[in-house]
Amino acid sequence: MIGLALRRTVRGLATLVGVAAVVFLLMNAAPGDPASLSLGRQAGRGAASPGAVAAFRAEYGLDRPLPARFAAWLRRAALLDFGRSLQDGRPVRERIGETLPATVALNVSGLALGLLIALPVGIVAARRRGGLFDRASGLALDLLFASPPFVIGLALLLLFAVRFRLFPVLGGVDEGPAGFVLPVLALALGAAAPAARVVRSILVEAFGSSAAAAGRARGDDAAAEVARAMHRSGAQLAALVATLLPVTVAGSVLVERLFSVRGTGALLAEAVFSRDTPTVLGLTLLAAGVVVAGSIVSDLAAAALDPRLAGGARTVTGPEAAR
Amino acid sequence: MRHLPSGLRRALLAAGVFPLLALAAPFVATSRPWVPGAPGRAALTAPVPYDPDAVVLEGRLSPPGRAHWLGTDELGRDVLARVIHGSRVSVGAGLLAALIAVTAGIGVGALAGFTGGLTDRAALFSIDVVQAVPPLVLVAAGAAFFPASGLTAPLLIGLTGWTASARLVRAEARRVGTEDFVESVRAAGASRWRILARHVLPHASGSAVAGAPYVLADAVMTEASLSFLGVGVPPPTASWGRAIADARGSFSEGWWCAAAPAVALLLFLLSARALGEALSSLESPENR
Repeated sequence: MIGLALRRTVRGLATLVGVAAVVFLLMNAAPGDPASLSLGRQAGRGAASPGAVAAFRAEYGLDRPLPARFAAWLRRAALLDFGRSLQDGRPVRERIGETLPATVALNVSGLALGLLIALPVGIVAARRRGGLFDRASGLALDLLFASPPFVIGLALLLLFAVRFRLFPVLGGVDEGPAGFVLPVLALALGAAAPAARVVRSILVEAFGSSAAAAGRARGDDAAAEVARAMHRSGAQLAALVATLLPVTVAGSVLVERLFSVRGTGALLAEAVFSRDTPTVLGLTLLAAGVVVAGSIVSDLAAAALDPRLAGGARTVTGPEAAR
Repeated sequence: MRHLPSGLRRALLAAGVFPLLALAAPFVATSRPWVPGAPGRAALTAPVPYDPDAVVLEGRLSPPGRAHWLGTDELGRDVLARVIHGSRVSVGAGLLAALIAVTAGIGVGALAGFTGGLTDRAALFSIDVVQAVPPLVLVAAGAAFFPASGLTAPLLIGLTGWTASARLVRAEARRVGTEDFVESVRAAGASRWRILARHVLPHASGSAVAGAPYVLADAVMTEASLSFLGVGVPPPTASWGRAIADARGSFSEGWWCAAAPAVALLLFLLSARALGEALSSLESPENR
């Protein structure tokens, strides 16, 4: 178990360094010189003086070779220091820190509510496979699964805020808790669609196993049968969370823009739009860090629930598991 | 067409609607009459006789009706004309991105699975790296570094969307590489590259090709999301995602501005997924 934790952590860190390298190369391959770009923007319109450009290049180490710059940048990034924003000159860490609470709240409640919807739907659909509920929910889930998060949010908005006027049209923390309901629901429905499908297929297999048949022969009632099936599939269910994390992280970027929530997703859109590269890089690494950490945690949880996995067997924990 | 299974035939017809609409857009939605009549009067107008970019400020936010079937937006532009022209962005970007992604995925997957060793490990590591970042975040980040143009988004989506196909093909190529017929071609003296190109690729790429419509759906969704975030195809080109984002200010007065492109996007995504389902069931009959 400790060995697995170490192996997964090392692999996760290597992946993150890989992401950082890709992002760093992208930054350097992009047209435009960051020194004159940044100084020009801070000074308003017009070109910066050559002396200021040289000083800027020395300060940020832009006069050194690429690998040395990457090493220095990586060392700072590991301490969550992503430099200063090109938009207002404030540290990127500060800007991310301000927007993070709204996004974390949105993602955690969206993910939790998504699972709360997905588990019962998946269980009932798997119990009565081919029944009316299975077919109706399957249709609804297919529709939800195909919908981009902002289309789900748009439908909720048009229905509950415009038609029935139950919630404010523009969400966000400043609107109070009511402004948070629709964004969370949009994110939850987006996550529930793949989750319920996976839960259903995991449980269909579990109910069809010989262990389930043995349980029925011993006289298990429906509740006990579901509990045992869930217990046996614990590892696969734990892996599900890792599959859902990228879905909600990307989904919240869109949902935040739709509902005007001031979160990291809105910050990303704004930073991309104004080509604020340090902020974009910081947010990209943060998203990768969350996804990688989620997959490590869920792998370890899966191993704890199914000792065979600790020995090196693998489960599918990629986006394609939801397809 | 006739010899195809009926499920696939229906799926192909449905999935073909939007590409055809995209091709026909300049003829279907235009203020130029099909048959010009007397000066100032048209003998036969196009079915949607409006230009997508024609601003009519007096006719702002008029609801769906006889003149404008799907209403007008906050600049008085015909929503239906913009939805029809917007299909060009979604279909074009989606197809280009999916082509790049599936081709790259098949190439990387086949090479990694067949060669094994260091190449395989390097490919798996790259897949891990790309999949560690949610696709939308990765593509949006890329869009911050490159000039905004109609080609940036599809190229970025294609270059980040190859991992699923690569995984599929890699697994297949590993299996095919150990089969007897490959062994016999090898014994007959075929070179590694010939075996890879002539024997492994055709056998290993089936599942990735069958899955291509799913890659298309993902690409279309990512492009629409980018446009929705305001970093996709630059304005004034009509695109579904941007239309939805632009309509946010006028939800209460003009729900149709957002609903029409959203429904079009959803229908295109559903048709692509249905095609993927039909192809996959053909590719692996036991899953039918």
